[in-house]
Parts: sequence; C-alpha cells; structure tokens
Amino acid sequence: MTFADFALPFLPEILVLVGVLLVLILDVLGVKRIEVFGSITVGATLLALLFVIADLGFLPFAALSTVPAGQIDISLAVVGTPLYSFTSLGFVFQAIFLSATLLVSLASMSRPSYEKGAAVFYALVGMATLGMLLVGIASDLIFLLLAIEVTAISTYLLVGYTRRDPRSLEAAMKFYVIGALSTVISFFGASLLFGAYGSTNLYYIRSVGGAVGYPTLILLGYGLLIAGLAFKVTLVPFHAWAVDVYDGAPSDVSAFLAGGTKKIGLFAFFLVFLGPVLFFTTTGTSNPFNAGVLNTGPIFQIVLGVLAVVTMTVGNVLALMQKEMKRMLAYSSISQVGYMMIGIVIATSPAIAGATLQIFSHTFMKTGAFLVVAAVASLGIGPLISDWKGLGQRRPWLSVAFALILLSLAGVPLTVGFVSKFVLFSSAVQAQGYFIWLAVAGLLNSAISVFYYGRVLKVMFFDAPDPVVEVPAAGPTAPAPERIPVGGLGYARASTIALIAVVIVTFGIFPQVILGPIQSAAQHFLIAGP
Amino acid sequence: MDFSTLPIIPITLGTLAAGTVLTFASGRWARWVALATSVVFLLEIGLMFLGYTSWPGRSSSLVPQFGEYQSYPWISLSWLQINFTVGIDGISLILILLTGFLQIATVVYTWNETKRPSAWFGLVLMTCLGSFGVFVSLDILLFFLFWETVLVPMFFIIGYWGGPNRRYAALKFFVYTHVASIVMLIGLLALVFYSGASSFDFSSIYAAAQGLTGIVPVVLFLSLFFGFGVKFPIVPFHTWLPDAHVEAPTGGSVLLAGLLLKLGGYGLIRWAVIILPTTLTQVDPILFFVAFLSIVWGAVLSLSQRDLKRMIAYSSINHMGIVLLAISLNSALGLTAAVLLMFAHGVVSALLFMGAGTFHHTYGTRDIPSVGGINSRTPILASLIMIGSLASLGLPALISFPAEFAALLATWDGLTYLVLIPLIGLVVTAAFYIWMMQRVLFGPPKGIPNDAHDVPPAEGLGMGMLAALTVIFGVLPFLLVNVITMSPITGWHG
Repeated sequence: MTFADFALPFLPEILVLVGVLLVLILDVLGVKRIEVFGSITVGATLLALLFVIADLGFLPFAALSTVPAGQIDISLAVVGTPLYSFTSLGFVFQAIFLSATLLVSLASMSRPSYEKGAAVFYALVGMATLGMLLVGIASDLIFLLLAIEVTAISTYLLVGYTRRDPRSLEAAMKFYVIGALSTVISFFGASLLFGAYGSTNLYYIRSVGGAVGYPTLILLGYGLLIAGLAFKVTLVPFHAWAVDVYDGAPSDVSAFLAGGTKKIGLFAFFLVFLGPVLFFTTTGTSNPFNAGVLNTGPIFQIVLGVLAVVTMTVGNVLALMQKEMKRMLAYSSISQVGYMMIGIVIATSPAIAGATLQIFSHTFMKTGAFLVVAAVASLGIGPLISDWKGLGQRRPWLSVAFALILLSLAGVPLTVGFVSKFVLFSSAVQAQGYFIWLAVAGLLNSAISVFYYGRVLKVMFFDAPDPVVEVPAAGPTAPAPERIPVGGLGYARASTIALIAVVIVTFGIFPQVILGPIQSAAQHFLIAGP
Repeated sequence: MDFSTLPIIPITLGTLAAGTVLTFASGRWARWVALATSVVFLLEIGLMFLGYTSWPGRSSSLVPQFGEYQSYPWISLSWLQINFTVGIDGISLILILLTGFLQIATVVYTWNETKRPSAWFGLVLMTCLGSFGVFVSLDILLFFLFWETVLVPMFFIIGYWGGPNRRYAALKFFVYTHVASIVMLIGLLALVFYSGASSFDFSSIYAAAQGLTGIVPVVLFLSLFFGFGVKFPIVPFHTWLPDAHVEAPTGGSVLLAGLLLKLGGYGLIRWAVIILPTTLTQVDPILFFVAFLSIVWGAVLSLSQRDLKRMIAYSSINHMGIVLLAISLNSALGLTAAVLLMFAHGVVSALLFMGAGTFHHTYGTRDIPSVGGINSRTPILASLIMIGSLASLGLPALISFPAEFAALLATWDGLTYLVLIPLIGLVVTAAFYIWMMQRVLFGPPKGIPNDAHDVPPAEGLGMGMLAALTVIFGVLPFLLVNVITMSPITGWHG
C-alpha cells in the first residue's frame, strides 16, 4: 500500500485542512480582506463536498470517488477493529456538515472587513469542519469523542472570537464549561464500556452485544454517554446552555452551531446507540437483563424515546413564550432535535433515513434562519420579534425567503421540511406498536410550532411597520460600509439566503434525488454499521 | 383534435399553478390574469365533462374506477411507494365544477379589490388550486399536500383582509384545521401500514384495506372522521367557523363556505366511506348522533343570531350536518344526495355571503334588527339575497330542493322515523330565513343611509352568476345527478 492509497480516501479532510492552513498563512502575511479568506474556505469546502458526493456515487461525479468501492459499508466486525471506516451514511452526514460550512462561509463574506478576526473566524470554522468530517468516519468510541472535541474546542472559540460583546464572552464561557463537563461525562462512560467489553470499537461492541458479564457497567456506561452526548445535541433537560449560547454568539456563528456542529452529536447517537437499542429489546435473547433478576426490557428505546418527546415538547412550549427572534429560533432548534431522535429510538432503516433527511433539511432551514437574522441585524433592526414589524413591505424578497424557511420549519407542504417530517413520522407509523405515539407526539408538536412560526409571519406581513426610518449602521465604530450592496445585505449573504430558499423548495418537490441515496445508506448502516 | 387522450388533470394543475404565480407577479394586471386563469379553468373542466360518459364508472362491481387516470412514480423507497396519481369520478367532477364556478364568481365579485390586489387574487387562485388538487388526488401524500395548500392562503386571506378581530380568527382557523389535518394524516398513514398496502395509491389501499378486521379499522375510521369532520364542521368542533366567517372578507367567506367545507365532505367519502364501507356500518350510530347534533344545534344557533353573516355561517353547520347524515347512511341514494347537497350549498352559501358582503358595504352594518325594508332602496340586492335565502331553505325549483329531498328520502330508507329530526332542522331553517327576510328585505324602511346605492356592477355580476346557477340546476338537477352517479358507490347498480 503506497502512501497515496492510504491518503486518497481522506481527500475531503485534507482539503479542509489545507484551507485552514492557507488562511492562517495568509493572515500572517498581512492579508486583510475577508473576501480572500472566505473564498479559500468556500473553495476548499466545495471541493471536499464534491468528493464526498462522488463517494456517495452520484452519477456525474461518481468517477471522482477516492474511496475504493470495496472499503465502503463493509462489516468490520469480521475484518478487525480499526479506528475509522467508511460508511455511506457517514458520507451523507459529511455532505450535510460540509453544506452547513459552505453556507456559513459564503454568507460571512458579506461582513465588513474592518471587523477584526476574519482569518481567525474562517480558520476556526475550517477546524470545526475537520472535526465534523472525522466524526463521519469514526468507528471507535475514543476516536469519535476526540473528533467531537476537535469541533467543540473550535466552536468554543468561535462563539467569543469577536471579543467585543460581553454577551458573546459570557456565552463562550458558559459553552466552554458545559462542553468540558459533557466531554468528561462522555469519556467516563466510554471508560466504563471499555471495562465491560475490553474494547472501545463500536463494531466489536455491537457484535458482542449484551453477552458480557458486566451488565451494570454497560448500563452505567451507556447512561453516562446519553448524558454526555445529550449536552452536545441539547436534549432536554441538558439544554439550558444552548439558548444563551445561540443568543449571545454572533448570528453567523449561531447559524453554524445550530445548523452544523450540533448535528455531529446526532450522528454520534446513531453510531453509539444503534447497538444497544437493538440488543436491549423485550424479546432479544442477548439482552443480559431479560434472564436475570432485573428485567429492563427495551430500556434504551424507552429512555431515548422519552427524552425525544420531552425535548420536542419543552422546546416548542418555551419557543412559544419567546420575545426575541434568536431565542425563539434557539428553542425551535432544541425541539427539532427531539424529532431527529425518533430515528434512533425506532432504529429501523426507514426511521434512520427519515431522521437523516430531517437533519439534512434542518441544516438548511436553521442555517438559513440565523443567516436571515444576521442580515436583518445588519440592517439595524432590533432583536425582538416585534421589531420585525412590516418587514414584508420594506424588504419583500428577504421576507419571502424567511417565510419559506419558517414554513419549512413548520412542515408546510412543498418544502423540504414537510417531506422530511412526512418520511420520519410515517416511518414511526410504519414501525407500528407503541412507536405510533412518537408520530402523534411529533405531529402535535409540529402543530404547536405553527403558532410561533405563524406569529413571525403575522408580524412580518400583517403588522404595519413603525414609522421610524431605519438606520443602516453596522458595528459601534462603523466607518462608511465598503462593498455591502444589494440593499445593505451584501451579495454573498443575499445569494446564500436565495440558495437556501431554492434548495428548500426544490427538494420539497423532488425529494427522490436525496431520499434514494439516504435510504440505501440507512439500509447499509443498519446491516453493516456499528 | 382528439381531446380524450390529453392528460387533462396534470395540464389543469399546471395552468392553475402558472396562473397563480403569474397573478402574484403581475401587479395591477392581476385581476385580468386571474380572470383569464378562471376562464381557462372552466374550459378545462368542460373538456373533462366531454369525456365523462366513456369512463369506467357505472359498473356492476363496487371497486372504485376513475376517468382521466394518470400515475407517475414520485418517491420510491423500499417501504414507501408514492406516486403522482390523479383521476376523477362523478363525485370529484361535480365538486371540481363547483370550484370552477366559485373561482370565477369570486374573482368577478372582488374585481375592485384595492388592498394589495395582486396578493388577493393570487391567494384566491391558490385556494382554488388546492381544492382542485384535493379533488383529483388519488395518492395520500399528494392529497395531504393539496389539503394543506388550502390552509395557507385562507390563513392570509382572513388575517390580512379580514375584519377587526381577524388575527384571532385566522389563528383559530389555522390551529383547528391543522390539528385535524394531523389526526387525519396519522389515520391515513396507519391505513397504509396496517393494511399492508403496496403503495400510497388509492387503489392499492382500497384493495388492501378490505382485509382489515377487528378494532383497527374502527380506530382508523374514527380518526379519519375526526380529521375530516373538523372541516365540515361537526358540532362540537365547529367554533372556528363562525369566527372565521365573521372576520373573513366576503371573498374569503365565499371560498371558506363554498369550497373548504366541501373538502371535509369529499375527504370523508373518498378516504373513509369508500375504503372502509363495512366499518361505517359498525360506527354509524356515532355519525348519526353527530349529524343530528349539528343539524339541530346549527339551526337553533342561527335563529338567535343578529349578525347576518354569523347567521349564514351557523346555517352552514346545519346544512353540512345534513350532508354528514346522508353520507353516513351508506346508500347510493344517500351519497348522491350528499354530493348534490354539497354542490348546492356551495353555490347558495356563496351567493348569501356575497349578498351579506354587499349589504355590509351599502348599509354599514350587518346587524339584522337595525336595518329594514331595503327592498325599496336596493331592489336588486334584495332580490339576490331573497333568491339565496329561498334556495337555502329548500324552495322547490331552486338547487337545494332536489338535494335535500333526496337526502330526506334516503334517511327515510335508512332510519325511518328519525327523519323527523332533520325535518325539524329544516323547519327551523325556513323560520330564520323567512324571519330575516321579513325584517331586512321588507317591512318599513329603517336604518337606510342617504347615499345607499344598489349593487355595484362587478358584485352584481358575481352574484348574478351564482343566482343563475341556483335556478338552472334547480330546474334541471339531472344534469348533475347523471354525473354524480358515474362512480360505483353512487351508481344504482343491480
């Protein structure tokens, strides 16, 4: 095996890393323009995305694939216990992560260059992306947790990198403390599992299942992992940090956090909990607790299912009460995680496909929503929902794009949000039995969510604007804005939002393009995955 | 040219969608684009009528068959086969005809809309597009998609063009109907997965659902009944309707009463009654009870209203109660009567709401006791309201009469003396319409402003169209009945 054979499958990761290094070198050389850093990151991400899509076998690009077909979706329980492996579902998630990075990097190019730290911003976004890509290929618990940490540490810095707003600094501090705590909990859980299994390889763990002599260790280990990962994906009751962080961070960063980095936690849930959910069942003979004194039944399905329902409900109810746009979006983001968790609770290939599609659509919707918030803030409009009064008349196109995003979040037809919820909830009904209650809970929650999304639509389109003339001003020390045209939004930001709106509608009408690959990836994942 | 080979339904969907988008984008020409779209839509409905006699409709088998059937694969997964499947039978064709008439009547009636006209006409067309889609869809996802498409424009119509309390009404409307849609969706999905249907298509669900036994089909039927019933609306889930109607602008009320309520009736027939006929006979006591409750409660509440629009709204609950009763009888005559009554109510309630709207413009109030004798000042308006009221109370030679008569006949067939309950409802209906006409149209003039003028041309034309339909189909109801029976479930076979 030559070095090229070894390195080529990692081309996406290498491209992103090269992008980061290039940005840092140019910063040292004294380049100041944000457009330069932005273009580098966008270019590197786009190329990486292309190769990942090629690996998935999309037709015009399939020839570019750098991973040999024989290395994708192989059952590693037979082969050995490597740190990483290539799965189709991992590629799907890598594509989702890269899309989030692409959107955020593109939109952030519209920020004025006099803001400090453009290079730092892009370098950190690139590093976080690298961590996310590594999560996509992880097949070992320690590798997975370390990859998550690469992303996490980059995002702690991202939240506070402007060093201007005390709220951002407070948010960064909170994020860091909670993040560190959750990491510790996760690693403790992983070490207990190592004690039980003698290995941290997820494939090995799944092949052994519950057939080891230390059921208490397994239960404790997975319990701690639920808590640790729940912090990352903001499951209620581990969600309290998220709202302050999303609210305090610069809106571009919030978009990246909610749309991008949060999703790694969900893929981690898929990787870690597919095994236990499948072997801790009522009837499974490998369930160590069925035979003994303590009959646990499908304990992980119940625990994760309850967490999912509680998360979607609490997130929605709290979102209803918010007066600030960013806080409302943050709570809605929490509630959406509840829907995505349905996938791992049911753990059939339709459910995993549905959840993956929901994650895909949520990436575009939530990134788009926070980018619109950033755009509106740059127009000098306040953070309260009521400040958005009459935006439909003053900024019709921006409002229509935002309306599309909100309708998609609410799951209204002809949007990708509708398709993903439809597939997800119908997979719950398809699984029959008590899983139907997950569909009922999810659908009732989408009905609640219509209230607060609808309220924003009402404020934007029905309410008359305040007679105050808007002042297009940016930062506190704003000199004359340079190159921020298209009505003060900036070309890059405006075109990113337009792109998101187009994606939402296109995949809402023709979902088969992405659903086909996601479905086959989910099937492979269920058979060959950890 | 041979029209019978055209895929007329996809073409119609395309022209309606294109017309809607164009209307939104065409600024001050929007009303003309909307009118052109409506005319084209009517022509396309005409094409559908051209071929209906050759459909595989009146067969001896009860298996549903459809004309103009088209099916294209849309989403193919291992466990989820969704097609873009459309087709029509007699039941849907009549309701499509209603959609076409109401669309053009609404566009003409609101011709002089000044508040954001392009958005107004675009939303009107979008509502009709959604309704048309519901009537032609033979796939669950497609059906649900159009079903929800109707909600969005109606929410904006009430919320932006409505009366003083419009925001509350719009939200209440949206929440009630959306929650109902969710229950309906779960019911439809469960229907697919519990019956083991191979795809989301109507035909495969029908075939698979015949094998369902036990408690499952009962639960499914009741969830579908609730989902469609809120749209009807059935008592006690009716409270969104009066609020929505009172606050909605006239055009909104017309579409709401004329089309949206029919979606519930159509959905119940298509997705519950036809698919689970044996289950209907198990649960029909519940349906009868709800129907009687709606008939009596709607009539009694109408009697006590002072607001003209609110009165018409409650009378809609009464009429739709009769529709529900006719549907739950599960006989060919009952279903035919139900569809005919839906058409009749669509035309008549639209006419009445338009009359109430013009009345409000002219006299500045909708309060029944405070205005009287408008016959002397505005004879045309008074005549149109009178035609609507007489039709609504079931005067022979007007459109509701054959429908209500058939419904009562079917009730006698099925329930014998219980027919007295809808009859009492009809008497009360007649009472409040006659009382209203006596006070408002005739009697000594009072509360008439000096500048009161008769119906403006556009509004008069819109109402005139509907009044003409009321008379034409009242005298010649077989024109509709012949079409309705082009469906196995409404045909007299054997």
